[in-house]
Amino acid sequence: MRPVASRDVSLTTQVTIIGDDVRTVDATVDGEKLLVAPDQLEAATGWKLEPQGLCRGDVCVPVRDQAALLDGDKVDLAAVAHALGRLAVVDADAGLVAMGADPATRRQALSLDAPEFTLNDLDGSPHSLSEWRGRKKLLFAFASW
Amino acid sequence: MIGVALDDSVDDVRPWTDGISFPVLIDPQHTLTETYAISNVPTVVWIDEHDHIVRPNGVAFGTDTFKDFTGVDSEPHKEALRRWVRDGEVPIDADQARAAVGDLTDDEVLARLHFRIAAHARRIGNDEVARRHFARAGELAPYDWTIRRAALPLTGDDPFGQTFFDMYGEWQAAGSPYHGLAGTEAV
Repeated sequence: MRPVASRDVSLTTQVTIIGDDVRTVDATVDGEKLLVAPDQLEAATGWKLEPQGLCRGDVCVPVRDQAALLDGDKVDLAAVAHALGRLAVVDADAGLVAMGADPATRRQALSLDAPEFTLNDLDGSPHSLSEWRGRKKLLFAFASW
Repeated sequence: MIGVALDDSVDDVRPWTDGISFPVLIDPQHTLTETYAISNVPTVVWIDEHDHIVRPNGVAFGTDTFKDFTGVDSEPHKEALRRWVRDGEVPIDADQARAAVGDLTDDEVLARLHFRIAAHARRIGNDEVARRHFARAGELAPYDWTIRRAALPLTGDDPFGQTFFDMYGEWQAAGSPYHGLAGTEAV
């Protein structure tokens, strides 16, 4: 009998990806990597792998070496985050991934151009900063802790 | 005014919003702390009619409840705010404003990602994973209150208890690092 390669015993599991929003897809656990089928990448991250790179809506981020995103016939989520220029934390055992925001957004804030954001009010209705354009705003971050 | 609560659930926020008429939003993922480089609360940002930041992240209080502890008087900021609203007078020039906050380090961003994983794991009842990621987040950003203090109530500790006062001592010993204008600086 042929010895079983570790790839053959990798597990399929539900994975939650916390990025610009929270998404759940089926992924394969391979050691410390989480891999998704290419046709699941958009459901996992909002980004689609196209010939011109990683695309979301009409935004495309060029990817010089698309093969580097692949592990066998699957896409490595950490490699996708890297290609998008974002930091990520992958906990393959727990089935959890957190992907950072586009660092250009914070650079925009640091150069004094207030980045747009959308957050829910306490009744669950979404509000964006741009709703109050035309008015002076005091943005005030607080917490119960 | 737009309030953004860096809290895990609406129930944590409601006790503070009684009688408040301005919009209050909730940010359980702390997305704003990543995109605006916020490292403590309360932090205020002045944003003008064209969505330009005229006074970046700064410590400011609405009252003097914590004045003896923080050394920050609420009145100078409120008076500066009145002058801005009334006369358009801004207390800081654009070069100072651009230099005031300082970018997050990769470790500080990674701490936010570990925090998000931990908070999510806690919500789904995976306390072991939550504990591990809260701990890692605190190691990566030991002087960031939105990481370490925010984790206290989520790990069964008291954000106004001894752990907090120990952290406060460590933070002061490190030079009171903060991404923005300290409350005692020019308003």
